[in-house]
Amino acid sequence: MSDMAINPAGRGRLLAVLPKLAATALMLVLAAVWLGPLLLIVMTSIKSNAEFLAGPFALPKSPTIQPYIDVWFGLGFGTLLRNSLIYATAGSALAVTLALVPAFALSRMNVPGRKWIFGLLLTGLMLPQQTVLIPLYDTLRTFHLLDTKIGLIIVHGVYGMPLQVLILRGFMTTIPPEIEKAAYVEGATDFQVFWKVILPLSVPGILVGYTLNFIAIWKEFVFGLVFLNSEDNFPVTVGMLKLNSDRYLAVFNLPAAGLVISQLPIVILFILTYRQISGGNLSGAVKG
Amino acid sequence: MASSARRFDDGTFVGYARQHVFVTVFGVAVPLLVFACFIGYPILYTIYLSFFEWNGMAPQKKFVGFANYAYLFQDKYFYIALINNAKWLVVSLVFPVSLGFLIAYVMKARLVFAPSLLRTIVFFPVTMSLIAVGLMFLLILNPVFGAFDTLLRSVGLGFLVHEWFGDYRIALYTLAVISGWAFTGMPMIFYFAGLGDVPKETFDAARIEGAGHWRMIRSVALPQLRPVTAIIVMLTLFESLRAFDLIAMLTKGAPFGMTNVLGYLVYMESFWNSRFGYGAALSVVILVIAGSLAAVLLGKVLKGAFDV
Repeated sequence: MSDMAINPAGRGRLLAVLPKLAATALMLVLAAVWLGPLLLIVMTSIKSNAEFLAGPFALPKSPTIQPYIDVWFGLGFGTLLRNSLIYATAGSALAVTLALVPAFALSRMNVPGRKWIFGLLLTGLMLPQQTVLIPLYDTLRTFHLLDTKIGLIIVHGVYGMPLQVLILRGFMTTIPPEIEKAAYVEGATDFQVFWKVILPLSVPGILVGYTLNFIAIWKEFVFGLVFLNSEDNFPVTVGMLKLNSDRYLAVFNLPAAGLVISQLPIVILFILTYRQISGGNLSGAVKG
Repeated sequence: MASSARRFDDGTFVGYARQHVFVTVFGVAVPLLVFACFIGYPILYTIYLSFFEWNGMAPQKKFVGFANYAYLFQDKYFYIALINNAKWLVVSLVFPVSLGFLIAYVMKARLVFAPSLLRTIVFFPVTMSLIAVGLMFLLILNPVFGAFDTLLRSVGLGFLVHEWFGDYRIALYTLAVISGWAFTGMPMIFYFAGLGDVPKETFDAARIEGAGHWRMIRSVALPQLRPVTAIIVMLTLFESLRAFDLIAMLTKGAPFGMTNVLGYLVYMESFWNSRFGYGAALSVVILVIAGSLAAVLLGKVLKGAFDV
């Protein structure tokens, strides 16, 4: 992707350099706008109360991890992180599991009406979650799943499925048809082709889908807010609401430290998988 | 394109299902059942509930016909939220989408140094929760201790300092811009991938004809990227209808409901005011808006982009 560059017609040296200078200046400003807030927050999070009063741009002279300790115990981050981890791990696993065979059916099999089935599943992607909160709340209550981890995992899994079908179907479409033809000639069943041929070849796509779903659940807020009541079940996003209160906003180092803690697992995941998740896999899936 | 080595079936669904039990059961029936239970049924139940008055607890729901809708169309807060959604959408379409395109183009045209670094920086907030993003800007935009206002004062622009979340004239725009800041990485990635798919010859031909960057964008890149733009517009549309997290974290609709959007109003009316029937009616309005906009987009612009 880096071998192609858009080269407009050259018009003398100065004119060729000018857009480059302007673009670089613009990009520096943009980098400051996107990176600046993050750096300021990290900086604030390691300041003592006294140093905080020196102003937001003053560099921390004697960095301290006290804000991290205070906010960790004040908000119970141990429980919050564990819960988010459970929801993201299990919810994504459920979403991918639900999506695997449909993605196979919609990409490699001539299921009649597959266009309609695919379109129907995709409406789940477009649905604003707020519009189904009431019925889901009611349903979860009926099955005594309100304010339980299992209940939230099921909801996350089901609502993650459409995106997983989209991603996995896009990925499976790229596998050459000759591969499974050979298997069919040897008398393999649909299941064997799926299990022994397509599934192993789809592992990279599955990893991308799982990672994206993991991040999506880590970010998710509405379902956790509405379907949970007890703090023992809160994910990080819901637990963090408390940081917007007079108690925590007296000095900014505590909320800043809490913010860093809440994003740390995602930062690690981001560093490990950045190439895969930002490589246009999503748009590739859409174009299919 | 789907392909199957075997074509024993007679073309009907039943014939196909007999031949391919595994695929039919786990690839079609199970997902459709799950869809029906958790997405289809809730939508229908929401529509049903919008004709009732219900506090969410009582065993009896009271049928009120179209009363919820009649109330809705004279509810001041409904109109405020509706207009706020429109404003939010406009900000989202203008700021993150055009900026995302610009960054993608500038990187693809190799106009900057270290393009992949900028891409990483801009994409990172896409992975952040909006609760964390909101908290971050709550600290940054604090009028007393915040970095932004401190910066404004130090460069002599102190008159621009505002109560960014408290001033009813700008609070909504503050929220929409923050949401745009977190979202810009999405259109950027899509446009970046889209520009990579445009044949090199197309750009070469334009260059030979003497096109500069401006013409290149207007006459080559944008027309070629129309399907990508359509997908991004769809994404932005649904993102803006979903707007919720930032409002719940930062303003809760205050001041005076001036930062309320439909997605948050539904939640407030249902789960705070216990007016589940009215909340359902609001939900139906959101569904109608989302559905009709999606139909227009799918029908007109997106033809072929979602082809199976």
